[in-house]
Amino acid sequence: MAREYDHLFKLLIIGDSGVGKSSLLLRFADNVFSGTYITTIGVDFKIRTIEVNGERVKLQIWDTAGQERFRTITSTYYRGTHGVLVVYDVCSGESFANVQRWLHEIDQNCDVVNRILVGNKDDDPDRKVVLTQDAQRFAERMQIQLFETSAKENKNVEEMFMAITKLVLESKRKMQEEAKKPAANTIRVGPSSAKQAKKKCC
Amino acid sequence: MFYVQLMDITKLVQKTLTPNEKCIQAIECARILDGKRALRYAAIVINKQEHGVFIFTALRVPCLQPSDLVLESVLPIDGSMRCSAEAPSQQTELRLSLRSPIINVLIEMPKSDPSTLFLAEIKKAKDVYSQVAAFGEPAAIFPWLEKYKRQSTDFNQSSGENPFAEDIFDPLKHMSLDGTNMHVVDTESSRQTTWFQDDMSSLSSSYEHLKPAQKSRSRDSLDKILGGDEDYTDSMETLQWSLGISSGNELPILGKTISSREKIVKKFLTDRELEFTDQHSFRIYCGTWNVNGQSPPDSLHKWMVVEAEPPDIYVVGFQELDLSKEAFIFTDSPKEVEWQKAVKAALHPKAKYLKVKSIRLVGIMLIVYIQAKHKGFIKFIDSDSVPTGIMGIMGNKGGVSIRFTLHNTSLCFVTSHLAAHQDEYERRNQDYKDIMSKTKFKDFSPPLEISEHDIVFWIGDLNYRIDLPIDTVKSYIKKGAHKKLILEDQLYRQLQANSEIFRGFEEGLPNFDPTYKFDSGTDNYDSSEKNRVPAYCDRILWRGPGVKQLRYDSHPQLKISDHKPVSSLFDVGIRVLDDKRFKRVYEDIMKKLDRLENDYLPQIKIDNTELIFKDVKFLESQDQVVTVANVGQIPVEFEFINKLDDQTYCRPWLKATPCKSIIEAGVCCEVRIEVYVDKATAAKLNSGEEKLEDILVLHLTNGKDSFITVSGNYMTSSFGSSIEALIQMHGPIREVPVAELIEIEQPGSLSRVDITKDGGRLYMVPKEIWKMVDFLHKYAMNKDELFQQSGRKSEIPLIRDCLDTGKPEHISESLSVHSVAEAFLVFLESLPQPVIPYEFYTKCLSTSNNLLLSKQLVTSLPGCHKNTFLYICAFLRELLKHSDKNGVDIKFLCSLFGEVMLRPQTPMFTTVSAKDAVVKERRSKLREEESKKAAFMYHFLSNEIEL
Repeated sequence: MAREYDHLFKLLIIGDSGVGKSSLLLRFADNVFSGTYITTIGVDFKIRTIEVNGERVKLQIWDTAGQERFRTITSTYYRGTHGVLVVYDVCSGESFANVQRWLHEIDQNCDVVNRILVGNKDDDPDRKVVLTQDAQRFAERMQIQLFETSAKENKNVEEMFMAITKLVLESKRKMQEEAKKPAANTIRVGPSSAKQAKKKCC
Repeated sequence: MFYVQLMDITKLVQKTLTPNEKCIQAIECARILDGKRALRYAAIVINKQEHGVFIFTALRVPCLQPSDLVLESVLPIDGSMRCSAEAPSQQTELRLSLRSPIINVLIEMPKSDPSTLFLAEIKKAKDVYSQVAAFGEPAAIFPWLEKYKRQSTDFNQSSGENPFAEDIFDPLKHMSLDGTNMHVVDTESSRQTTWFQDDMSSLSSSYEHLKPAQKSRSRDSLDKILGGDEDYTDSMETLQWSLGISSGNELPILGKTISSREKIVKKFLTDRELEFTDQHSFRIYCGTWNVNGQSPPDSLHKWMVVEAEPPDIYVVGFQELDLSKEAFIFTDSPKEVEWQKAVKAALHPKAKYLKVKSIRLVGIMLIVYIQAKHKGFIKFIDSDSVPTGIMGIMGNKGGVSIRFTLHNTSLCFVTSHLAAHQDEYERRNQDYKDIMSKTKFKDFSPPLEISEHDIVFWIGDLNYRIDLPIDTVKSYIKKGAHKKLILEDQLYRQLQANSEIFRGFEEGLPNFDPTYKFDSGTDNYDSSEKNRVPAYCDRILWRGPGVKQLRYDSHPQLKISDHKPVSSLFDVGIRVLDDKRFKRVYEDIMKKLDRLENDYLPQIKIDNTELIFKDVKFLESQDQVVTVANVGQIPVEFEFINKLDDQTYCRPWLKATPCKSIIEAGVCCEVRIEVYVDKATAAKLNSGEEKLEDILVLHLTNGKDSFITVSGNYMTSSFGSSIEALIQMHGPIREVPVAELIEIEQPGSLSRVDITKDGGRLYMVPKEIWKMVDFLHKYAMNKDELFQQSGRKSEIPLIRDCLDTGKPEHISESLSVHSVAEAFLVFLESLPQPVIPYEFYTKCLSTSNNLLLSKQLVTSLPGCHKNTFLYICAFLRELLKHSDKNGVDIKFLCSLFGEVMLRPQTPMFTTVSAKDAVVKERRSKLREEESKKAAFMYHFLSNEIEL
């Protein structure tokens, strides 16, 4: 068993066109930022390996086209995703208003998935229109963690990705425990009696 | 001689087997039954991946033909087979015990190469079995062995149960081979050396263990007996695995393979070690003593405790620990126990020590202790030994080594006993080279060598002598002129000359008298007849940076041996990890690697991802070229993939060429995107049911997906419009507003038409059909090969535009009749519902042999279809009247128009992939349908039919 990583998770970044999905990915994966805006026409991914509590987690992060006309196609990329980042632009009320739709999109396409809400471009207070408290209230209502980030200034980006990774790790662990539980209930008789038998012969 | 016989036996056994089976090796042996030895032949037989051991008795000796061999026992080498081999002391025989659930076999064979090979083959067979089993393949059931089992005398005598099984002498019954209790054995078995145990894991593939001259060795085996260490060595070796990444430049294996990325991380970490480590000073004590086979004195304190402060590490080496003959053969030596105890008792009283490891090769032993406080920072402990004695295999001379990693520095300690005698310094050099090259720490992959360690200490009885006359030596000793002595020392001179011997090693100047050779129990140099020249036999050398020698002493107070013990104290710079800095560097490296990985993902650029096709017309292809540039570092493979649940990667009117290809790095590929609307796709575009809109998904293998949007507008055409819609259009189709077009293309639109209203009048037949028929009627009646010659490619669009725009009002007479004839056929083929609508298709075929029924069927067609059908038939009959000039005959027209006007909803295809029989069946069905269609048409072309 080659131990290049302990976990491999697929993350998906969604949100309106132009909110900075690709910039977040570029900042996180390659630690660069480009001011020029290039619309993502398609679906791209990058990888990054991080360590969480001593465990090596390889993240494969998928960046999707945000444009409306691609929505049906991009929905196919939700398959097999462990965590989704729903991104809006704190300077665009419309992109924030659309978050609800994106969350709905997740419900439509994923069974169980960890989500996180990201208000990007949080680097110019003058242009900020989505107030933190409003976003926070909304996030609480939707039971989703909120992060305000700036890919440009590398603010909160690491923390945000770390948070979603931890969520995914946690749910993986829970699932494993769940999977163990019923098995333990039915098999318990066997091993415990075997143990006793062993003790006798020692 | 032996080999000749061996060959013969193997061949003979082979002759008793079936062709699928191969005798790998057969060997003469003695089977021990009832405590008596009886001549047998043992053979290993393979059938595919399954092995069995066959035991034969001989009807006569020597055996000359296969029938001389009688099969006695058969044992499958499977998971239930237990094997063990021993070499009873002072015997020339090896004993092999094979135990299966059914029978036990104990055989003896000579200690010889063939026997060793035989054991190795059995081990290999067991490995093969466990490998196959581990891959989850069905457990071997050895069906091929059954026939032999029934043949075997065992089977016939005892129906599978050996009545003597219990009586077979089997020392293993009395002896626990649990590993931990290996040494607590009764006298009977203590005279034996266990070479390998049930799992046979310790029998290495090399045969050295079983060569005639043995060497005895032990590793750490005495902790239990000595007590007190509480299995510390064990816990240390398990501990090392949990420490993970923060080691030096080496990585041990032990069942886990290291990914290539891991190796690169290691390399980068090693390169940047200084960034995240600090040098801390550790005090290391090294002591070496040739004890001449003596038992330890009361106390070793005088030798081992040289300063008030306790050293961090104790490294203690012995030579000639045990000179008894038994020491050459037995695993354990009572002397070892004594000396281990003595060393443990003499550790510095001011600190608590834990034993790292000890290793012994006959009389050469190395023990390493470390202060308990460093426990958490020591890892990757391993040891090895190399004999260099007689024939290069005897353990009386040689070297043993222990290595480990302390914090981030790798340390290796070697103690050796090199060849003796004044003039044999070349032999000593050779011994050094052998130890240096043959010592392999096998926990590592590839095995780690001595030279690969940051710091090496080499201690021991190196046996180098002083090349001076004995009197000179003794007089220098008297004067304390140690410097003068060392100048003539064989090792010192080589070190100074920077020869290949001990290259890179350093040694302090010994400021003590030569440590060899004394009359035991005294401080007097050798007074025997041999009168040996005193020499600095016992030395302590080191290699590596950051080592500072503090003391280098001998301890003449200890007089039991003919050597005096030597000790040295060092301050050694150990690289200690700074967690914070390490984490930073580590993360940095991970990021760099991730970036590298990202850089090596397939990357492309597409010059245009939004293609717009303007005014796409029926049967007129348009294309645009998209350039896909490979801007990444590696060749990319791209392919247009299906999206969502689609069956194809694009709509039927769209095509990309190539749709799959490989582009080298830095190279561009041009992809032609073509839009072409034909009879199959026109109807839906006409009716507005579909639009010229699609998204192509260009997928890179192991990479991203890019979307290419294709859009455009379709110029509606009468081609592909329904008869129902066409008869409602008074003007040309282009003049009909889109909304109205959609409306009249809706099913049932005819019934909603108010014919009384102005403009509500319906045509009898589509005016486009009338226009083309009219043209043909005017100009084509006498044209030869009508409907047989193809039209001019360029004229079809002209005809289409004329019909769709009404300009000019009539089809220009300058156009070829063949073009119009072809356009006419295409027009009929493009009708979304054929002239005879789909729902009537099968009925038509079934009534085709009956005029009356066919007539009835046509009567029942929807009005506009009926009219169109009869109109075309009338035209064709007219055409037939001039068949002498235009060359058409009724049969030809029947089959041509039968195909065009009578179409099944789902056409039958004969695909290449289909099987011959299927193709044949389909073809004959197609032919049958064709003739039925023609027959149907024949009714209407041969007679003028009144309906």
